[in-house]
Amino acid sequence: MKIKSVFFLLLSVLLILLIAVLVRVFFLTPSETIKLASIPEGEYDPAVWGKSYPLQYQSYLKNKEMAPSPTGFGGSVNVQKSEKEPELLVNFKGMAFSKDYTEDRGHLYSLEDLKESKRVTATTPGSCMTCKTANLRDVYKEMGWDYAKTPLAELMPRLKHPVVCASCHDPQTMGLRVINPAFIEAMERRGVDVVKAPREQMRTYVCAQCHSEYYFEPGSQRVIFPWDKGLAAADMYGYYQQRPSGFEMDWQHPDSKARMLKAQHPDYELFSGGVHAQSGVSCADCHMPYLRDTGRKYSSHHVTSPMKTIGGSCRTCHTQDEGWLLDRVKKGQTSVWELQHRAGQTIAHAHEVIGKAGGAPKVNAGELDKARELIRRSQWYWDYIAAENSMGFHHPGEALSTLGQSLDLAHQAIGAANRAAGTHY
Amino acid sequence: MILERTRKTSPVKRILPGILIGAIFFAAAVWTYHASGNPGVCGACHSMKIVHNRWQASNHGQFACTECHLPDESLAGKIVYKTRAGLNDLLHETARDYGAAVGLSVEGRGIVDGNCVRCHASTIAGTGMAEGGTQCLKCHRYIVHGRGQDEGGIRVEN
Repeated sequence: MKIKSVFFLLLSVLLILLIAVLVRVFFLTPSETIKLASIPEGEYDPAVWGKSYPLQYQSYLKNKEMAPSPTGFGGSVNVQKSEKEPELLVNFKGMAFSKDYTEDRGHLYSLEDLKESKRVTATTPGSCMTCKTANLRDVYKEMGWDYAKTPLAELMPRLKHPVVCASCHDPQTMGLRVINPAFIEAMERRGVDVVKAPREQMRTYVCAQCHSEYYFEPGSQRVIFPWDKGLAAADMYGYYQQRPSGFEMDWQHPDSKARMLKAQHPDYELFSGGVHAQSGVSCADCHMPYLRDTGRKYSSHHVTSPMKTIGGSCRTCHTQDEGWLLDRVKKGQTSVWELQHRAGQTIAHAHEVIGKAGGAPKVNAGELDKARELIRRSQWYWDYIAAENSMGFHHPGEALSTLGQSLDLAHQAIGAANRAAGTHY
Repeated sequence: MILERTRKTSPVKRILPGILIGAIFFAAAVWTYHASGNPGVCGACHSMKIVHNRWQASNHGQFACTECHLPDESLAGKIVYKTRAGLNDLLHETARDYGAAVGLSVEGRGIVDGNCVRCHASTIAGTGMAEGGTQCLKCHRYIVHGRGQDEGGIRVEN
């Protein structure tokens, strides 16, 4: 009797369990859609959006994380880059990047880091806020490009939110959009209407609207992307050599007296020519992989190194195991780093040699100008890769080629300086 | 009296209920084996929806999932693997803790490769690939399921 009842008890427990499992698996399936919420235009607080889109919001909050990159290059800890690359202090001597040049933190910090940066002073123009806040939308709507020459300090009280949902999403449709007028104008000149661009393109453009090289137009302080001749280091250098709108340089180096350019994170530009972009892969495919939460597939809004999510980022296409993939990326980045470091050091040496040549009693002015022109070009090539955020990963071949040319140009600059002054440094 | 009658029961009569129950269980097991091998059952799982849709549209849509994904060496091997894989799938489908990119295990890949060759042996006959250990999926992985894994996530509904 006893055995019988125990048997039946067990059987019924098993049966209930089986039914529960079957009901969960076949009937209570996780929802594949989410109801479009009514978020008003001009609502920039991500916490409000987060109430309707909790999975995306939770992952967005992870941008707070400050962690070294799994490859050892980049990362989201705001350490001074010059700790690892002391040559930065020489190469950017006489301008703000020698005072403060940290590794960048996540999107959540963009406004805070702008406020805290030692590069920002009382005379900093409003154009510097362009990529740091979604409030740009309203400011631009109201003032047009006039905001660019308004002092940043004057605009600051209006800037409440960093890079947030509204920087890339239309709250009415949740479709993708870009808000940076400089990007919209630059793409227009390239024949692309970013309002009509398909979603797959927008998955790159929302990033490209800020992760790009730019300069400020003299006078108006308007932000301009130097893309009219192309996106490679040589193309943009050719563009700058035409002195667009009278823009000649970012600063004059105090030692070499060369008229220098500062590159700003040309992530989109380097990526564009690489094998991933050429195969139709977008920024979001790797940097915002689809992750799962209790069966629901959502795109991660923790925008960081894909090496933290190799499964979702890489293995959708590459079948190799995670360790192997990480190792490949590390090897490629190490090669780029070695050349970048060497080119940077050679450029630092070149500034010193040109400086000494400039102080020599009987100097050939023509040769010296040649040396200054060479170092301007050399440093631009080096900085195109050094200021870029992927340590060459976005296009390894182009990165190594650009750095190789930079290194050669730096040696040519040293040679020209020595010829100018009859020295042998 | 009662004891005597019990002793007199013929052995056939005593075994019969056992045989009957066994037969029912056996029939149920066979039915379960076949029914659970139906592609509709595989595709009913949330995590399998995308690969199921792509398979239906592929040029291998006439073959059941089990024809490629179960080992073909012996029936016993098939049953053991199917039970093991089925329980694993059921467990993770219930817990909903499967990863971002659902993919084949090393074992599963070997099984699929073996099943490719089952039909396509003549294609590789006379080449180095016929010597065995050929990894068909290394190059031909998109044939049946496409690149379904990177298909979008949650959609916004109006």
